[in-house]
Amino acid sequence: MATESKKVLYGLYNDEEDLKGAVKTANAAHLDILDVYTPFPVHGLDPILGLKESRLHYLGFIYGAIGASFGFLTMTWVFTRDWPIVFGGKPYWSVPAFIPITFEMTVLFAAWGMTITFYTICGMWPGVKAKSLDNRITDDKFCLAFDVTSATDNDVDKLKGFFSQSHAAEVNVKTLD
Amino acid sequence: MNLTNTQFVFQSKTKSVLIGGMVLGALCLILTFIGDDEYHTRFWTNYLHNTVFFTGIAFTSMFFLSAQITAFAGWDSLVKRVWESMSQFMMVGLALVAVLVIGVWGHFHHLYHWNTPGITDPSSPIYDHIIAGKSGFLNAGWYTLGTLGFLAVWFFWSYKLRQASVEQDTEETASLSYYKKQRKWAASFLPLGGFLSTVFIWQSVMSIDPHWYSTMFAWYSMISMWLGGLSMTVMLIIYLKSLGYLEYVTRDHLHDIGKYLFGISVFWTYLWFDQFMLIWYANNGEETIYFKERMNHYPVLFWGNLLLNFVTPFLILMRNDTKRKFGTMFFVALIVFFGHWWDYFYMIKPGARIAAHEAKEISEGKVKTHEATSLEKAAAEPKMSTTEAQSDTVAAAMHAAEDGAAAAHHEEAAAHAAAPAETHEAAAHGGEAHGEAAHGEGEHGEEHGHEGDKSFKAGFTLPGFLELGTMIGFLSLFLFFFFNKLSSASLVPWKDPYLEESMHHETGALINTEVEENQGHDDHH
Repeated sequence: MATESKKVLYGLYNDEEDLKGAVKTANAAHLDILDVYTPFPVHGLDPILGLKESRLHYLGFIYGAIGASFGFLTMTWVFTRDWPIVFGGKPYWSVPAFIPITFEMTVLFAAWGMTITFYTICGMWPGVKAKSLDNRITDDKFCLAFDVTSATDNDVDKLKGFFSQSHAAEVNVKTLD
Repeated sequence: MNLTNTQFVFQSKTKSVLIGGMVLGALCLILTFIGDDEYHTRFWTNYLHNTVFFTGIAFTSMFFLSAQITAFAGWDSLVKRVWESMSQFMMVGLALVAVLVIGVWGHFHHLYHWNTPGITDPSSPIYDHIIAGKSGFLNAGWYTLGTLGFLAVWFFWSYKLRQASVEQDTEETASLSYYKKQRKWAASFLPLGGFLSTVFIWQSVMSIDPHWYSTMFAWYSMISMWLGGLSMTVMLIIYLKSLGYLEYVTRDHLHDIGKYLFGISVFWTYLWFDQFMLIWYANNGEETIYFKERMNHYPVLFWGNLLLNFVTPFLILMRNDTKRKFGTMFFVALIVFFGHWWDYFYMIKPGARIAAHEAKEISEGKVKTHEATSLEKAAAEPKMSTTEAQSDTVAAAMHAAEDGAAAAHHEEAAAHAAAPAETHEAAAHGGEAHGEAAHGEGEHGEEHGHEGDKSFKAGFTLPGFLELGTMIGFLSLFLFFFFNKLSSASLVPWKDPYLEESMHHETGALINTEVEENQGHDDHH
């Protein structure tokens, strides 16, 4: 899937508190933030960015419930209808013996389901090329990015002014393909 | 640091309420004692039940605190005084357990069938070769060491740990000397608590069913105590906050304790099921009898246990926002606390009822003979039915293995038969029968054998009002001691190296309603 190239103006900060302050300032000035990139999860950043609680866990519950039913019903069908075998004199439908496998299937379905969903949402398929603005944001820099693909020079100057005001250590422009 | 309300004051009003609770508990114990059978089984089981449960809560508080300190945990610094004070109840536990130990030496109670005089003597008519085989461990000396002795060791460790922590407050300049001391006591307590708790629980609870054994039992019952301790912690923290103390303990701290409450509840279920499934699968008569007895005669106790301790915390605490709400957490903690008290009730009562029954038979002269003993041995052999089992219930699967063992274990079969030889024949017949007609025959024999135990009996089949009253009494005693200890030191460990971290503890959970709440708050300013 080809995406249009995007021109990004980004500033790098040396400290997460600087970044948090910058995000607050940007919000106050009604600037449209593309995203922020940090080397580690910064507490308190999500609500400032206006992010909502993830809904992934609802799907996790549904996947788990599907896994549990699938495991349990498959074993029920196999051992009572398809191929009944007596194990150690137990009844065909031996619920306690099914529990461990039901549990495993719950975990398997929930884990795989959530992983696949998450990767799909993020577009992270095998072979996908990493679109990194700057390699230092995986190390010690905190990045705040704006999309300036269709911005006027005036807008860009305004953003640059914002960066210098909020003590960004560095301001760069990069085109992501 | 600008913390207020750091000194807990034990109000005289609270004191009188708790003393009232203790009086109620004592009254209930006396009433139980009066209206009891000749062995005072209900009284002694209630006493044992609450002693083990509340001492266990103190023990697991110490264990949990030690684990936190050893793991360099910082988030709990603000609430560690709560655990330190809870753990000091082991001192009272020592006195409570001492009564049980004296009872064993003086034969004042019949909680433990292995303690019956003459039971390990081969020339005695009541000789029990299985108990005789275990008498190297199941004897009064080991009982004293395993309960009182080990509890004293734990208490000493918890005393030293708390001492090091409280003395730390007086440090003039910041140094790590008291902290290092705490680390030593905490780290050395972990193996002591971990290994010795197994012996403690084998002696005090598992030996009520001396013929039965389970390698999962110590794990399972210790986790049960731990959940009792955690739920108590949650309730106490919320209570203290409602009084205006612990204001720096936030919903983030509660969230972390909630995760433990959730995770360990699931772990408890795992162990509960593990113990059940291993026994169910192996189908060993002498092991399955334990669950057969409980599933058939104590169904509410048996299934209620799972409902209270697994289904409720699992479904409610699964969401992350519920672990951060004080009301919801208090509600769940209350259920889990009651649930694990119920769990210990379930562990203790059915076995003790059988022990009393056996003691009665011995006193009435309906004793087990050598013939019956060998019969029991034969009946205890695992019975793997090779025919296709028709029934599809769990209980029925156990059935096939054990009706012979059940009859022999309770000796009713022996009591009903005119002569030992006849009993032998009847049981042998029963054993053979269940190859073909396990169901009908087994059902019948079993109905016959358990007439006495099957009927509902308050205080045994289910906790009655006297049990609840006794629990309130012990709870009041626990809380009285806890508040007393809590008021003797600052609520904040001022010189704890992790205090700052604990005050800024955040789980990073993003909850929509909380974000809205905070935004509303900000707008207001």
